[in-house]
Amino acid sequence: MSTREKVLSKISAFPTLPVMASRLLNLLDDQDSGISQIAEVIKYDPALTVNVLKAANSSYLGFSREVSSMTEAAVRLGTNWIFKIAISSLINSSVKKPAEGYDLSAEDLWKHSMVTALTAENLCKMLKIKDKGQIFTAAILHDMGKIVLGEFIADSFISILRISEDDQIPFEEAEKKFIEIDHAEIGGLIAQRWNFPPQIVECIRFHHNPDAAADVTPAIDIVHIADALCLMADIGAGRAGLRHHPSENSIKRLQITSSILELAVSQIPAALESIDDIFKEMPVEQLAGRW
Amino acid sequence: MPVIVVGISEMKISNSTEDILITYSLGSCIGVSMYDPVSKIGGMIHYMLPLSKISPEKAAASPGMFADTGVTTLLKTVFGMGAAKDRLIIKAAGGSKLLDQNSVFNIGERNYLILRKIMWKNNILIKSTDVGGSISRTMRLEIATGNVSIKSGGSVTNL
Repeated sequence: MSTREKVLSKISAFPTLPVMASRLLNLLDDQDSGISQIAEVIKYDPALTVNVLKAANSSYLGFSREVSSMTEAAVRLGTNWIFKIAISSLINSSVKKPAEGYDLSAEDLWKHSMVTALTAENLCKMLKIKDKGQIFTAAILHDMGKIVLGEFIADSFISILRISEDDQIPFEEAEKKFIEIDHAEIGGLIAQRWNFPPQIVECIRFHHNPDAAADVTPAIDIVHIADALCLMADIGAGRAGLRHHPSENSIKRLQITSSILELAVSQIPAALESIDDIFKEMPVEQLAGRW
Repeated sequence: MPVIVVGISEMKISNSTEDILITYSLGSCIGVSMYDPVSKIGGMIHYMLPLSKISPEKAAASPGMFADTGVTTLLKTVFGMGAAKDRLIIKAAGGSKLLDQNSVFNIGERNYLILRKIMWKNNILIKSTDVGGSISRTMRLEIATGNVSIKSGGSVTNL
């Protein structure tokens, strides 16, 4: 069996995302459904309801009166927040895992995923791109291939890094040279297996190389740029560091200026804070004491 | 020994010889340490961006996010505590970059250029640096000794 085949055989053992995730995405995509329909669906999942209520009452959102029902939470938070909290909670409870070979704990990878999603959302706002939850979801999931590939690169990390340095190529290209597959392709295959919308699959598949997509959409470019900014700010960059190649074409296609990019970076601390607070039922490891 | 963590966009100071100032995850961001060996006053900042003009509101709420507002504030603070300008030892680390980046992505390099400009304007030398490349760094300053060390890729070096 080739290494590629060995890696592919692991994909079938990867956890499945609860059906609720697809239902929420469908509801968001449906013009006719509103916040009350979303609240109605969430109400039937007790764990999810608890998480949404916790978030609605978090100090980050700063409301003084406590809400105790989904209907109240829906009114307080609105569709966008309810969706973000619900989808991240579903992903967190099913696929939050470490990517060992990359030196990324489950918390590191989760933090990177969430900050990428929130940065993608901020970029969408600044560029007036409408996201019906697909870009946000793809951004949270973009690196899940690392969870599968982690065990394969654990022993060969140094060799892969050397290829990346000697050939002056991004880490993921060296990964592909060495293991015959990279984490982006694996992530795309997992999303495909979940029957996720093609747009989400493509965003994950091409998050390091948007120019290789047959049909480059703004969504693919947004996830790529958001990921690049988080890696640059070393939010969960892991051992591969900043050895990634941002696409100049993505910048041109989205007409991103230096100020837009810097504004997106300036919103990263607030994103980190919201993860610590709103999503606190998903503990984020404290960095202190790692020296 | 009490470890004081300097988070992203933060700055911290100490004159307690038991303290260690530390900042993690320096990618394109820059960590600057300041230390007066006589008064044993030390400070550290972890800034993300070069200039505050892109968001004066953010700079007002969080001056440590930008080099121009943060580094000057930290300088004023350590001087206010009694550090002397002619004794102040400045060290810097970070400013990494993504591979083959175009100019828009070149935040790490711009971050370092503006630091040099601020120090030049204030007539202060930067004693040593570990900047650039595509690596992540952790910076640590011991208030008792002024020793600054950098951890990257599992190895620790003195700066």
